[in-house]
Amino acid sequence: MNRRYFLMGAAGLAACSRDRRPRLNIFNWSDYIAPDTVPKFEAEFGVRVRYGIYESNEEMLARVMGGNSGWDVVFPTDYIVKPMLANELLAPVHREELPNLAQLEPRFQHPDWDPELNWSVPYMVIAAGIAYNRKLNPPPRAWADMWDERLRGRMTMLDDPFDVIGACLKKLGLSVNSSDPGELRRAQAEAIRQKRLLRAYLNAEVRDQLVSGDVLAAHMWNTTAQQAMDSSPEIGFVYPEEGYAVYPDCAVILRESKRPELAHKFLHFLLRPDIAAANALAARTTTTNAGARKILPPAFRDNPTLYPGPDVIARGEWAKTTEPAAQRLRDRLWTEIKSA
Amino acid sequence: MKKKWLAAPLAIYAVLAYLFLHLPLLILAGFSFNASRFTVWQGFSLAWYRAAFQNGQLKESAWNSLIIAVFATIAATIIGTLCAYGFWKRSQPVLAGSLYMSLVTPEIVSGISLLAFYQWIFRFLHIQLGMHTVILAHVSFSIAYVVIVVMARLRTVDAQLEEAALDLGANEWEAFRYVTLPAILPGVVAAALLAFTVSFDDYVITSMVAGVDSETLPMVIYAIARRGVNPVVNAISALIVVGFGSLILISERLRAT
Amino acid sequence: MKRLRAWFLAPTWTVMLSLFAAPLAIILAYSFLTRGTWGGISRPWSIESYQRLADPIYLGILWRSFWIAGAATVLCLLLGFPLALFISRAGNRKNLYLSLVILPFWTSFLVRTYAWMFLLRDTGLINTVLQKLGLIHNPLPLLYNDGAVILGLVYGYLPFMVLPLYATLERLDRNLLEAAADLGAKPWVALTRVVIPLSAPGIRAGAILVFIPCLGAYLTPDLLGGGKTVMIGNLIQNQFTTARDWPFGSAVSLTLMAIVLVLLLVFVRRQEGGLV
Repeated sequence: MNRRYFLMGAAGLAACSRDRRPRLNIFNWSDYIAPDTVPKFEAEFGVRVRYGIYESNEEMLARVMGGNSGWDVVFPTDYIVKPMLANELLAPVHREELPNLAQLEPRFQHPDWDPELNWSVPYMVIAAGIAYNRKLNPPPRAWADMWDERLRGRMTMLDDPFDVIGACLKKLGLSVNSSDPGELRRAQAEAIRQKRLLRAYLNAEVRDQLVSGDVLAAHMWNTTAQQAMDSSPEIGFVYPEEGYAVYPDCAVILRESKRPELAHKFLHFLLRPDIAAANALAARTTTTNAGARKILPPAFRDNPTLYPGPDVIARGEWAKTTEPAAQRLRDRLWTEIKSA
Repeated sequence: MKKKWLAAPLAIYAVLAYLFLHLPLLILAGFSFNASRFTVWQGFSLAWYRAAFQNGQLKESAWNSLIIAVFATIAATIIGTLCAYGFWKRSQPVLAGSLYMSLVTPEIVSGISLLAFYQWIFRFLHIQLGMHTVILAHVSFSIAYVVIVVMARLRTVDAQLEEAALDLGANEWEAFRYVTLPAILPGVVAAALLAFTVSFDDYVITSMVAGVDSETLPMVIYAIARRGVNPVVNAISALIVVGFGSLILISERLRAT
Repeated sequence: MKRLRAWFLAPTWTVMLSLFAAPLAIILAYSFLTRGTWGGISRPWSIESYQRLADPIYLGILWRSFWIAGAATVLCLLLGFPLALFISRAGNRKNLYLSLVILPFWTSFLVRTYAWMFLLRDTGLINTVLQKLGLIHNPLPLLYNDGAVILGLVYGYLPFMVLPLYATLERLDRNLLEAAADLGAKPWVALTRVVIPLSAPGIRAGAILVFIPCLGAYLTPDLLGGGKTVMIGNLIQNQFTTARDWPFGSAVSLTLMAIVLVLLLVFVRRQEGGLV
């Protein structure tokens, strides 16, 4: 039996870290940071970072819901912040430790979901639209085009309940934040109708297939679309005519985190204009940081996909947290859409 | 010797069947040497293997998988061998039944039930998901495999050998240790190799109970494969096929001795 | 004698109770709770989750899982029987041929599923070859449908069918075949009237060994079905991640377990199947 105890003990030791430096565990969306941001942070503060990625809010929530996932900092979309708060998953953000909050754009200083920024720090803004391969002629211009028969088997939608139901609601001329059961059910009916044409529900995974031409039109976030456009001139992106959803993503500190001070240092680091600019440039996104925006290269700053003109911005609708009852309905409707 | 009927058609069919079984893997391995990303052959290249070996995440996850598999295998083999021996002496329908159940339980159900179990325990013990939770999970589903293989081996052992030893003055432990155990050792090793491959390859259960530091190789492969075809996965797959294949060949050899 | 045996069995009892029975008990408890507002579990206790299962949508998923698993099983049987027959008559090369069947199986399941993704994509090998040969002009949609899932399942579980079939066929009495031939039966008749009925135990064992894992399949429909082919395994996983509806997910899990148990009780005979 001696050998067994030794082995068990060794297993325990092996499970512990092999590095003396303090550790920070960061869980972020895929391709959402500049490659040298984390190494710079590690070097400057003498810490080690474990960086994990996820493809959807649901995936992240599933992991952190139990309260013992091991992550310190995660990046939920704004409408997820309130539910996380309600579930006691968040640690408070101490504004005193984040003087760089002043760098944020005015509209993000007192956002709807967290007016005093006590729980979250805005990071980047995304919008959902339609990315398409230029082989498709004429190119899509509205959500309704995603229900077109010619796209049968060559079209994907995001694997995200809020996005898909939102797109259906917009197609019907309704608000993406609707809580009305009747409206939601109509949206669900649309989604189920669309399934016959649908190739698959995919998030960032579809990028390669769009570039290779397997997929002709994809419901996509503008970030992912920009990344696809970088690698191929064949790809285009359009903000649908009926309107589209806008999602600010934020950084939050999990309540289970054993290193909140270090987490604060990281958030402060992210708010530095040069770092924020590098992140936006590398991830191909719209930054919430005014200081960063000033130092972005002009070509990027005027990119129509990421920084569209005022008429496009007017069509955008901010995603808001849904009320609990409506959220339950939405979750159930999504299960049924997936199962149909 | 009667002429064998249907010999020719069966032989042709067998060749086709073996092609079906092996060709996809051979093609996969073949394209791992393709210089191009796409399915158009553009020259021989080891670039993807280089990329695989330079990928820190891959290396770390492979290392994790190895550690987990080693510890899970050792624990499962010991526990399972002892259990098989216990069954050999006298059948235990309840325990055998539950082992059988653990074999037929769909992996997804095992995974989520273990996750729920850990979540519940962590309300009292405040440990996080990590290598230890994965190792425990792997032990729980590997034991049944070990028991099957060792039982098969035990059936070839003559029970009277132990009785003779006892008659000659040995106690039960000595009889087991010096008589039966050596006789079943090849079976035990074969069972260990089996448990190792099962543990190393597991994705579904591991993905549910793994923590921040315990990403395994199948989890990384899945994450990459999900985003589309990537020749680095071809390269890793080829390495895995060769590695596991060798282990299994050794295992089969041992079982046959 | 008993003391030592008790010690030998104790670790297994501990593992089975703590890591198998207890988790299932927790799931059982969860299935009678309600989903929390934002997910997870909360009081009150209710049987609502089980009642939801009666909804046609979920019965449809159940039916679809049965259909796909059944199709995979039948295909495995059709493909595996001749192969098992061949191996059983191969004389002293039997072990070699058997090893060749087992070998791909024991390499990673994930890898083997990925191999089919690689082959079946629009820009994958099969479509590329067919297009180069001029047989088709546009790529065939081979991936992300039920057929791809069935193919992946057949490829993954064929050895599970071949092994028991081989075990039964190998023990077949050659004299019976000789007798049939003496009585004038042609090979085909001997096959259908003698061999197949006598291999019924092997067919049953193989069918169970293939059907049950296929029923609970998760990885194959996920990767090869494109998130559209929803089988029970996917539904369960969905409930525990995206939908965060643990009670419902637990109810579905236990229903699946119950179905598996019923199948086993009905089809596995004591002397043929079983662990010991």
